[in-house]
Amino acid sequence: MTEPILEVSGLVKHYPLTRGVVFRKQVGAVRAVDGVDFRLGRGETLGIVGESGCGKSTVAKMLVNLERPTAGSIRYKGEDITRLSGRALKAVRRNIQMVFQDPYTSLNPRMTVGDIIGEPYDIHPEVAPKGDRRRRVRELLDVVGLNPEYINRYPHQFSGGQRQRIGIARGLALRPEVIVADEPVSALDVSVQAQVINLMDRLQSEFELAYVFIAHDLSIVRHISDRVGVMYLGRIVETGTDTEIYEHPTHPYTQALLSAVPVPDPEAREHRERIILSGDVPSPTNIPSGCRFRTRCWKAQERCAREVPALAVPAWFEAAGGPAAHDSACHFAEEKHVVPAEGHRDGPRGHGDGPWGHGGGPG
Amino acid sequence: MLLEVRDLHVEFHTRDGVAKAVNGVSYGVDAGETLAVLGESGSGKSVTAQAVMGILDIPPGRITGGEVVFQGRDLLRLKEDERRRVRGAGMAMIFQDALSSLNPVLSVGDQLGEMFTVHRGMSRKDARAKAVELMDRVRIPAARERVKQYPHQFSGGMRQRIMIAMALALEPALIIADEPTTALDVTVQAQVMELLAELQREYRMGLILITHDLGVVADVADRIAVMYAGRIVESAPVHDIYKAPAHPYTRGLLESIPRLDQKGQELYAIKGLPPNLMSIPPGCAFHPRCPLARDVCRTDEPPLYEVSPTRGSACHFWRECMDD
Repeated sequence: MTEPILEVSGLVKHYPLTRGVVFRKQVGAVRAVDGVDFRLGRGETLGIVGESGCGKSTVAKMLVNLERPTAGSIRYKGEDITRLSGRALKAVRRNIQMVFQDPYTSLNPRMTVGDIIGEPYDIHPEVAPKGDRRRRVRELLDVVGLNPEYINRYPHQFSGGQRQRIGIARGLALRPEVIVADEPVSALDVSVQAQVINLMDRLQSEFELAYVFIAHDLSIVRHISDRVGVMYLGRIVETGTDTEIYEHPTHPYTQALLSAVPVPDPEAREHRERIILSGDVPSPTNIPSGCRFRTRCWKAQERCAREVPALAVPAWFEAAGGPAAHDSACHFAEEKHVVPAEGHRDGPRGHGDGPWGHGGGPG
Repeated sequence: MLLEVRDLHVEFHTRDGVAKAVNGVSYGVDAGETLAVLGESGSGKSVTAQAVMGILDIPPGRITGGEVVFQGRDLLRLKEDERRRVRGAGMAMIFQDALSSLNPVLSVGDQLGEMFTVHRGMSRKDARAKAVELMDRVRIPAARERVKQYPHQFSGGMRQRIMIAMALALEPALIIADEPTTALDVTVQAQVMELLAELQREYRMGLILITHDLGVVADVADRIAVMYAGRIVESAPVHDIYKAPAHPYTRGLLESIPRLDQKGQELYAIKGLPPNLMSIPPGCAFHPRCPLARDVCRTDEPPLYEVSPTRGSACHFWRECMDD
């Protein structure tokens, strides 16, 4: 990996549960994030996938300092930003920006698009002198594929996809090096999702951005990510390159997750092995001992209740090498191929230069 | 045919004008068959279902034409009390958001039991026993204890099972499921879809599955109807459509979703936005976004051409779409 721009270790966020009004005492904690480690290289995309409640959005909020971690560190170019405050924190924040999920609630309806995108300059006036701001905002609108003439319009005059472009333009305003995107396309219609993903791809190479891309859609995450981390109940249970995770998953949770994704190929339904997990995700206030996945795992044994599996390359894979040798937090990690080939999508379709070639214009 | 919708038209009258939500939709479902109605927001897929079910808000909605023939009777001509008897016993609906579709101040047992006290005139005690039986059938663990609990005490997946149980209660001939798994996580979605498919086989029900997810459709549907701007633009058996879509919109959708089995390059993106239903483009409604559009598309609305005896496409150039 290239030199890490962001290095997260032992990241924890617990929300205390209290009882009583006057004498509040802590009776427990929601362990939303419970020990997360990862590194993000310059210009790289790390995808984080997981189901609702796994803590992926809390990780995002801590990365941009909207939440203070309970423990652990987030190093930006070697400096732990969780210990910074005041001016030093402000300087770092400029370089780590966020794009939110819901383009309907994350834009102030009473501000014009120009004011929304230009607002970061009020906080960081050193980036753009006052007289130059309108020009910069127009430029940003153009960069994200919106007409610069729209600068005086309000958010309600735009569609969902266009609003997400506005959110991205705001994220880019300060020329950050890292963008944390929390479910940036999941509120959009299928035909508009591809436009926004292509835009993010293009911006990444244009501005050398590093992305932390958080989503529950496994196909989209594979498309955009260089490396992928799979989260379950506050921890990363498996991490590796996209090929390692999708073609050679070794953690049972990843395997179940991948096998459950409906793929757009009716042929797949006959020859596909589905791993249907029983039960629901346990509550983060009451995390199982040992391996947190064991209550839903078909391989669980007595050892899984006793010992917490470390996120590391399992010894038996390390010796052999190859794509199965990547970090997996399972005592009984085994390789299993679960993603069906979408054969009918091979061939000329989607690869030509004709009307169905890649790209397609912005909205 | 269990249900046949013929040339249905629905409009909404608003202060800003008339929104033409459904513009001549026809489809049919047989007993034991699953029809997927695929479309994006604003395509008219849910409005059509609401008109079939008889739960459209009128006004502002208005059914301006068409027939909904269910078991030989045109439902649009029935009186409201006759219609009510069809709902529940003849056809039932499952909604996307189980939490807001269930009553938060009644126990799930009371809500399930209500189906039997109201429609079948059962005593409360018998209805309660029926509720437990239904919860067992949709595999909610410890049904006897949980029947007394309230909706907020169940997880999202379990709530959706309760919705399914409620829809199944009177053993209807047809179930309409509107985005039944969209709010659920992928592992739970798999559990719920499998349950629904199994129960459908067991009872030989017709199922209309309304969704925007091409993956879910490929998993469960027999036939598929693709909607755009209030019309069906393509209708086909499920295997045919994925192999060779005959409408540029369907094809665009299929090309634009990233693959799980390999890392692609840049995605194909359908340009532009879905139309405003108050001013649908003349000719073919898809022409401003279509890579195959020519002059005729801007003036002549394409009929549903017969691609094969079981397939139709509302594109003047469907051959071209399938060929290259």
